[in-house]
Amino acid sequence: MGNENAATTRDAVRDLILVLADSKRLLGMRYAGWILGAPELEAGIAAASMAQDEWGHGRLLYALLKEFGDDIAHIEHDREPGEYASMDVLDEEPADWPGLVALNVLADGALSAQFEALRESRHTPLRQRVAKLLDEERFHAAHGAAWFRRLANGGAATRDALTAAVRGVLPGVVRWFGPDSERARTLTGEGIADTAGSALRARFLAGVAPLLEEIGIAADGEANFDGFDETRRRTDPAGPDAALIAQVRGDKNRVFLLD
Amino acid sequence: MAHQRVYEVFARKSRGEPLHHIGNLNAPDDELARVYAYDTYDEEKWFDMYIVDRDHFHEVFNRGDADAAAAAASGLMMGG
Repeated sequence: MGNENAATTRDAVRDLILVLADSKRLLGMRYAGWILGAPELEAGIAAASMAQDEWGHGRLLYALLKEFGDDIAHIEHDREPGEYASMDVLDEEPADWPGLVALNVLADGALSAQFEALRESRHTPLRQRVAKLLDEERFHAAHGAAWFRRLANGGAATRDALTAAVRGVLPGVVRWFGPDSERARTLTGEGIADTAGSALRARFLAGVAPLLEEIGIAADGEANFDGFDETRRRTDPAGPDAALIAQVRGDKNRVFLLD
Repeated sequence: MAHQRVYEVFARKSRGEPLHHIGNLNAPDDELARVYAYDTYDEEKWFDMYIVDRDHFHEVFNRGDADAAAAAASGLMMGG
């Protein structure tokens, strides 16, 4: 029984780390997509900086999988899109800058809310990396909030574009925290996370509520878990676009990946 | 988009050191200017960093300015 519990906890931690690592990797791609074409030069530089942070966090998290018996080179370079455990909302390239700002505030914000819940984790390798990571994330949150307010107060067209982007992303982000399941209870019961499921979702929503209020959107906690895979914390099993995954894996220049 | 302001960026490597001017940036407000300063200039390990809206600079003198030259000539500029 003890061994079974240990195995259940181990699986839950391993899956959570992969979810976080893959989501950071994909979020990095989304920021990188706006290094060119952001509304002002400084915003492009900010996008480059945030992409760099996300990829750094991703790599650091992938490295944690080694103790679970994962082959890190395989994880980073060989998996198919259907094996990715990234957030559904990162599958689509944002259509415009407000779309990126929505991901900045909501997707990046959700990831940080999840890391906040791991600050005191009993899983030591994870806990040891959370503080530095969240310290860097402060500037992502500040960037998101500043741009969110700027767009919300920037005239009707700008505000409408932001509102549409937020409405597009919010349901997927809210769902991402997952149901109050056996797995959520394992994470909190074993001291891996201080909260999970609906309580974590509520904490995240309370944090973004003041921003959402600026565009008249209620921070609603209702989530639809139809088809939700708790292991990958996704609903669409196909995963992100194959071309994007080829890019993040570095397929085109694999021959130059020298030992 | 809001009116852009120019911010000057200052930083130092350690507590005892004087602040160095390390560059400038454009931003619509203090909030984004802080983020942009961090994203643009935090490649080095600075101890602390500050931004100043260029409009908040008060000129003391300008060597290229005729009045300052006159002031210097009349002995107001000590040790210049």
